[in-house]
Amino acid sequence: MALEAARPRRPFPVGRRGWFLLALLVAGAAAWSFLDLRVAGLLPRAGGAAIAAEFFGAALQPALDYEDAAPPGAPPFGAVVLEAVGRTVAFAAAAMSLSLLAGLLLGVLASDSWWRRRGAAGRVLQWGVRLLAAGMRSVHELLWAVLFLAAFGLSPATAVLAIALPYAGTLAKVFSEMLDEAPRGAAEALRSLGATPAQRFLFGLVPRALPDMMAYAFYRFECAVRSSAVLGFFGFETLGYFLKQSFENLHYREVWSYLYALLALVVVLEAWSGRLRRRFVA
Amino acid sequence: MTADRAPVPPAGEEVRARVGALHRCRPRSRFLRISLLALAALTAWSWTSGAVDVGDLLQERRAGNLHRFLTEEAVPLPIREHGFTWERLAQWAGGVVADRGARGLAATLWISVLAIVLAGVVGAALAPFGARNLMRADPFLPRGREAGLATRAARGGWRALSAATRTACILLRAIPEYVWAFLLLAMLGPGAWPAVLALAIHNAGILGRLGSDTVENLGPGAPRALRMLGARRAQLLAYAVLPMTLPRLLLYFFYRYETCVREATVVGMLGVVSLGWFIQDARARLRYDELLLFVALGGALVFAADVASNVARRWVRDAA
Repeated sequence: MALEAARPRRPFPVGRRGWFLLALLVAGAAAWSFLDLRVAGLLPRAGGAAIAAEFFGAALQPALDYEDAAPPGAPPFGAVVLEAVGRTVAFAAAAMSLSLLAGLLLGVLASDSWWRRRGAAGRVLQWGVRLLAAGMRSVHELLWAVLFLAAFGLSPATAVLAIALPYAGTLAKVFSEMLDEAPRGAAEALRSLGATPAQRFLFGLVPRALPDMMAYAFYRFECAVRSSAVLGFFGFETLGYFLKQSFENLHYREVWSYLYALLALVVVLEAWSGRLRRRFVA
Repeated sequence: MTADRAPVPPAGEEVRARVGALHRCRPRSRFLRISLLALAALTAWSWTSGAVDVGDLLQERRAGNLHRFLTEEAVPLPIREHGFTWERLAQWAGGVVADRGARGLAATLWISVLAIVLAGVVGAALAPFGARNLMRADPFLPRGREAGLATRAARGGWRALSAATRTACILLRAIPEYVWAFLLLAMLGPGAWPAVLALAIHNAGILGRLGSDTVENLGPGAPRALRMLGARRAQLLAYAVLPMTLPRLLLYFFYRYETCVREATVVGMLGVVSLGWFIQDARARLRYDELLLFVALGGALVFAADVASNVARRWVRDAA
């Protein structure tokens, strides 16, 4: 009995997290009513049902060749798919190389570790960089693409820029956090040996954060490939471009070929990055 | 003091030898080296293959486009016609925001909220089925014990279940939100559902996978103890797995919410009334001044969601 009395009792076995889950469900219900959604809207409309049936029916037989007769002189269908995959990867790799450079620079400048004991001017610069990075990543890559399309016109380099800019902002934020959260033991040891702040940062801190940073950068490369595929919807000749074109021409079997190509690309990259992460982070 | 001074460091030659010895026994991995080489080659190829033509961007024509964009098209119409005053700018911006921007912002916000809640529910439901330590003939027991207790078929069946769940998650998340929205729009017709579903599907795949990984990374102590007491799988889930993984799952939930807000803006460009729809509309009418304003509004919303999610994450992390 004494034990029973000593134990603090709560009227409901719900903690803060429980209330939080409840609040989320309420928010979901509010969104449902604001958007004026009906369950019936989930069923395909009249024409949509036919499209859905035909589209999913085509899933098991992706096109291996053009569905209609190819225009004379057109490259074989397989080559088109492969070239689209290649261009998708090329845009992503080029964009990642840019954003990795910019992200590293901005990430170091945004981190607390770099500015430790460096005075007020440094703090101002640090927050300036943080604000810049936040601005870069707050605008979606597709919106950057729309802006660049308006400013420059259609050019592959604008697609690369559109991906590189927000990705650099994201990398800067994550890199700076990783640098600040890296174990400080090695840096402290170097300090007691009389190393300069730059040496401590470069040889004490960076090596500890590097595996995480590399794993994250690779994960972002995966994301960049997806983004690059979607940029095709805006006229850049990546997977999305051909996917949209085939869908609008009602060539659903071709659509599935492009979807499977994208799927294969993502799965391969994910397996690769998963293996890298398991080796070097966990 | 002199007695307990650190030993005198060895002379230069010896230091070099020791550092060399340390260097030789550093951890090395052929997989990492090959991966880095492959990535470097990929990057070099991407810049030199001709797919990315940087020179094209440096042409005179492009500079002309940019100049026209900055000095004419992107300048708000009333200012272009009557000259700049702050008042005119504020009036124009206020008018556009009141007329369409506010509606777009609200719709974007609600689409993202409903999508992430749906994704969270589905993802949480998928998570335990993809966890290979729970989906076993004898969950959470050490590997050796399992062999003696279960038939081969039972073991294969459980393994197939987790493999199927993980494959389903890959299929859901490998297709980008924008592509899902594009496909769903053709089937369901205009409305908010295609946008909501597209975001929910993609994020359910991601949350399901992250959830499964979280369950797999649980320390086996508590669940194993419960199991030894004879708890069933559902009881393990309710009394060990869920309480232990919930904080982590909520963190992932908020992390995905941030991306949901970004994407909710963008899928509107396909024809769903969110900010993206107004962006696309301004683009079609060549009103780049309004386009710029809507993009800025979307950026502000994403920024606000980022901050809110950060606060909420900290709040949940520190919860009792």
